[in-house]
Amino acid sequence: MMMLLWLRGVLTRRFPRVLGAAAGVAVTVALLTSMVLFLANASASMTARAVSAVPVDWQVQVISGADPEAIGKAIAEAAPIKAAHRVRYADAAGFEALAGGTTQTTGPGQVIALDEGYSKDFPAEIRLLSGSADGVLVAQQTAANLHVRPGDKVSIKRIGLPAVEVTIAGVVDLPDADSLFQAVGLPAQAAPQAPPDNVLVLPWRDWQQLFSPQAQQRPDTVRLQWHARLAHKALPSDPVQAHLSVTGAARNLEARTAGQALVADNLGSRLAAVREDALYASVLFLFLGLPGAALAIALTYAVTSSGGQRRRMEQALLRVRGATTRTILSLSAVEAAVSAIAGIAFGMGAALFFNPVSAPDRYATLRDPALLLVALLGLLLGFAAFLLPAWRDAHWITVGAAQHADSRARAPLWQRLWLDLLLLAGAGLFFWLSASTGYKIVLAPEGVAATSVDYKAFIAPALLWVGMTLLVMRLSGMMIAHNSGLLRVILTPVAGPLTPIVSAALSRQSERLTIGIAMTALAVSFAASTAIFNATYNAQARVDAELTNGSDVTIFGTSDVPAGAHLAALTALTDALAVEPMQHRFAYVGADLQDLYGIDPGRIERATTLSDAYFSGTSAAGVLGQLAATPDGVLVSEETVQDFQLQQGDTINLRLLDARDHQYHPVAFRFIGVAREFPTAPKDSFLVANAAYVARMTGSDASEYVLMRAKGNPAELARQVASVLALYPALKVSDIGQAAHLIGSSLTAVDLRGLTRIELGFSVLMAAAAAGLMLALGFAERRRAFAILDAIGARPPQLAAFVWSEGLVIIVGGLVFGLISGTLTAWMLVKLLTGVFDPPPQALSVPWLYLAIMLGLVVASVAAAVRSARPSPGLVAEQLRDL
Amino acid sequence: MSDALVLGKGLGRDFRRGVAALRDVHCRVVSGARIAMVGPSGSGKTTLLHILGGLDKPTAGTVEWPGLGPFDELRPRWIGIVFQSPSLFPALTVVQNVGLPLVLAGHPASAEPAAKALLASFGLDELGDKLPEELSGGQSQRVAMARALVMKPKLVLADEPTGQLDSITAQFFFDTVLERLEGTGTALVVATHDEAVAARMATRWTMDHGRLVSEWPRQDAA
Repeated sequence: MMMLLWLRGVLTRRFPRVLGAAAGVAVTVALLTSMVLFLANASASMTARAVSAVPVDWQVQVISGADPEAIGKAIAEAAPIKAAHRVRYADAAGFEALAGGTTQTTGPGQVIALDEGYSKDFPAEIRLLSGSADGVLVAQQTAANLHVRPGDKVSIKRIGLPAVEVTIAGVVDLPDADSLFQAVGLPAQAAPQAPPDNVLVLPWRDWQQLFSPQAQQRPDTVRLQWHARLAHKALPSDPVQAHLSVTGAARNLEARTAGQALVADNLGSRLAAVREDALYASVLFLFLGLPGAALAIALTYAVTSSGGQRRRMEQALLRVRGATTRTILSLSAVEAAVSAIAGIAFGMGAALFFNPVSAPDRYATLRDPALLLVALLGLLLGFAAFLLPAWRDAHWITVGAAQHADSRARAPLWQRLWLDLLLLAGAGLFFWLSASTGYKIVLAPEGVAATSVDYKAFIAPALLWVGMTLLVMRLSGMMIAHNSGLLRVILTPVAGPLTPIVSAALSRQSERLTIGIAMTALAVSFAASTAIFNATYNAQARVDAELTNGSDVTIFGTSDVPAGAHLAALTALTDALAVEPMQHRFAYVGADLQDLYGIDPGRIERATTLSDAYFSGTSAAGVLGQLAATPDGVLVSEETVQDFQLQQGDTINLRLLDARDHQYHPVAFRFIGVAREFPTAPKDSFLVANAAYVARMTGSDASEYVLMRAKGNPAELARQVASVLALYPALKVSDIGQAAHLIGSSLTAVDLRGLTRIELGFSVLMAAAAAGLMLALGFAERRRAFAILDAIGARPPQLAAFVWSEGLVIIVGGLVFGLISGTLTAWMLVKLLTGVFDPPPQALSVPWLYLAIMLGLVVASVAAAVRSARPSPGLVAEQLRDL
Repeated sequence: MSDALVLGKGLGRDFRRGVAALRDVHCRVVSGARIAMVGPSGSGKTTLLHILGGLDKPTAGTVEWPGLGPFDELRPRWIGIVFQSPSLFPALTVVQNVGLPLVLAGHPASAEPAAKALLASFGLDELGDKLPEELSGGQSQRVAMARALVMKPKLVLADEPTGQLDSITAQFFFDTVLERLEGTGTALVVATHDEAVAARMATRWTMDHGRLVSEWPRQDAA
């Protein structure tokens, strides 16, 4: 009964306090719920994206002597299979062709055959470039080596058997050659095998006819593989679970076929890489998500505590009247329960409303235990904020002391121990330690299953955040408590002639104001750091996509079908802002075949962006200038510099294919610099040279690629280009949006937009709550003081001076300190997470609009709080009676 | 007939849940009046005081201040008020609290000297740098009275100013108040349960259940 009475009284007379506490809990719960929902959705989409990018899930090599049909049956039983086809491989001693009066010969190669329906079920494995798909197909590079086209004849040097001659029907690209020709059964830590340079694809029956004898004579030179695609819809949505499921099934297959087959689990490997991406996502979640959650919890505690003085006085009155500690705690618990439950309900409801979970995962997601934990945390938070102070006061503070606010309390322990400076020093130390390792936070070496995360790196930003917050409290406390000149300067615009008395009044409320400034600064800092990091990340993601795609729209051709042949038609397109050709050749550096890009250094930047970070030791403009001034200049990779011990200006001979005699000839270049990245270039070593020089030395000025800048939407330009080039299927048109989508194995694949959208939205809410809500609750607790001012004759502008002065101190202190801290934190995060960016950013990207909106909302929330503090006409007398 | 500072005609004040704190009260406060408002608790003394001071509006009847000026200028210039419950601004010192009306009225330079002089006259000069939370109830009320007098108002309304004082201190305090107001023409209306205070006032208003049942002797006669 008593509790109900108490509750009714609290709801009737202290409703703003209950509402404020509920709002604080709601913000925390909503943020955490949104994060849980996002992570669930992101995990699901990550698995789906990774799975769709794998051309062949399993490659099962049948060991000589085993029954292929039995292996096929075992595959079908090991996992739900959507498609399974056979592929035959045969080693060849080489290929030979007569072209232009000369005989071209290659080194060893592979002759493969795909069974019926293979291309339909595995379309990503083989792409027709020219000619017909019916018949013998030659790989693009092999065609270049042999100088053959559709209709030409090629002699296959079989092993242990006479050569046979076939007629080429078409030229193909094998995009997934690395996987197609992988050596199945090698240990995981073995070095990756390079795919063969020379490949022919024969019709199934022709292969049988030509290579069955070789299989009998030299069974070690032929192989049969089953290529299988699993039923992806049956996979768990969580990448970690999916990985376990797939690898488990693969091991099951290995067990079933022990001694008869070897399994290459491409899907499992891919999911292992996604698992690493998930690890990166959790790393970023720790960096970005956890601070948001911590801020929300701190804000909730601060908001619910802002009515603490009044509650303390009420509880002191109860103690005077004989209430036991148990009774006081019970009454506090009632108020806490109402606030917490209301906050949890509203917070979760809002989160679910703004983050809809798509069916059929909805119910599974809603049953996620993490959501229950979030609800429990909200409950715990609400109770802690009410009960802890009550318990502490009941045990440690006398009734007399509880009835009075102690505005002359000594400095808190952390200040006397200089904890803020110690934490900042610690942040510097841990940051320096991370810097000394080159900021390698996540280690996932290629070919090694194990990964590691340097969790110590998180300590630096965590210490920075806490240390900066405490420093803000120290500095703002000093400014306010000592009634400094700076305080009066800040107050003068709103307090005018009342500045001395207003500043004197504020100086005795420094503890409350300091907490308000610190909470606002914390929220603004979090918002600013998240927004700057997000903007920088998005900017670099676009740079990465541009690096991959080359430009807004890129047409990828070959030496036989160069995209540059259509330059005029492409330039005429209305949406094309700039069109530039670029050579893409191959050159031997020693025995290593590398991609060679021939450019016009004076014009290339019209169609693509070259960042200083792409080049070592110099700016992009400097490199291009050097290349323009050195016709035979070449940029090489760092690895090439190391391998050949190159010095600036050294001559390096590259073997290029001459179009006149179709032979590789050495061509002298001069080493002028190192290129780390280049548009469309692979991660491996590559070369960049002057297109004019390459054309002169090779007798071919063909430009295999064309880079295009769009006036507007790149996708629209890509559609126009595809329309113009519809008759040339060998030319591949790609726009930057596709590249962004396809960047799959690096961190840019992880969609942080969802996480940062949640955080940026809540950051603004929390910044407004920290400033306005806490201010409003503080005003509500001190309504009587403002009523006294009104009663003794303060005019409305004079009352406004008092309340606006508080608001202004919160705004100025919170925003200035918050923006400084946020920028510093963002800089540190970008440095620590350098591995996330590819390439690393040269500078922070600042989202001015978002920051302006946030500042505006903070000011608006303070204005609303100030307005709420004004005594209502006619209620002054009532508020004066309010004890 | 002395000039009327405040005129209340048919004043009524109803609160929520049908509480009628005042009913048909006719009253007048003239310049230089000394009025003690007596009556049991809940009889409407504080409510009437608030209405006379312009802090509250009647729900019936009218109140005017012909001798003081327009409503917006009543406080702090012409009316000083001492409230029943502690009413010092918590974040200002005693001196700053007492001088606050002068600051609000646009005379910041004279606030501190005037405040200190008043505190000294009440024997409270040693409390100048203390905060309200460091004062006893009696000290707070005396400081509040000093604040009410600092602008030399024409009307002082005091609600139980000696309620938390012992008899000797109360007598000294009230003597000081009357002494300061002597010859100034300032009217003093005191709501009190203290018979010693009421006896020193020239006129007695008796309140009962929201009505002003008697005024004796009449102010003109006094």
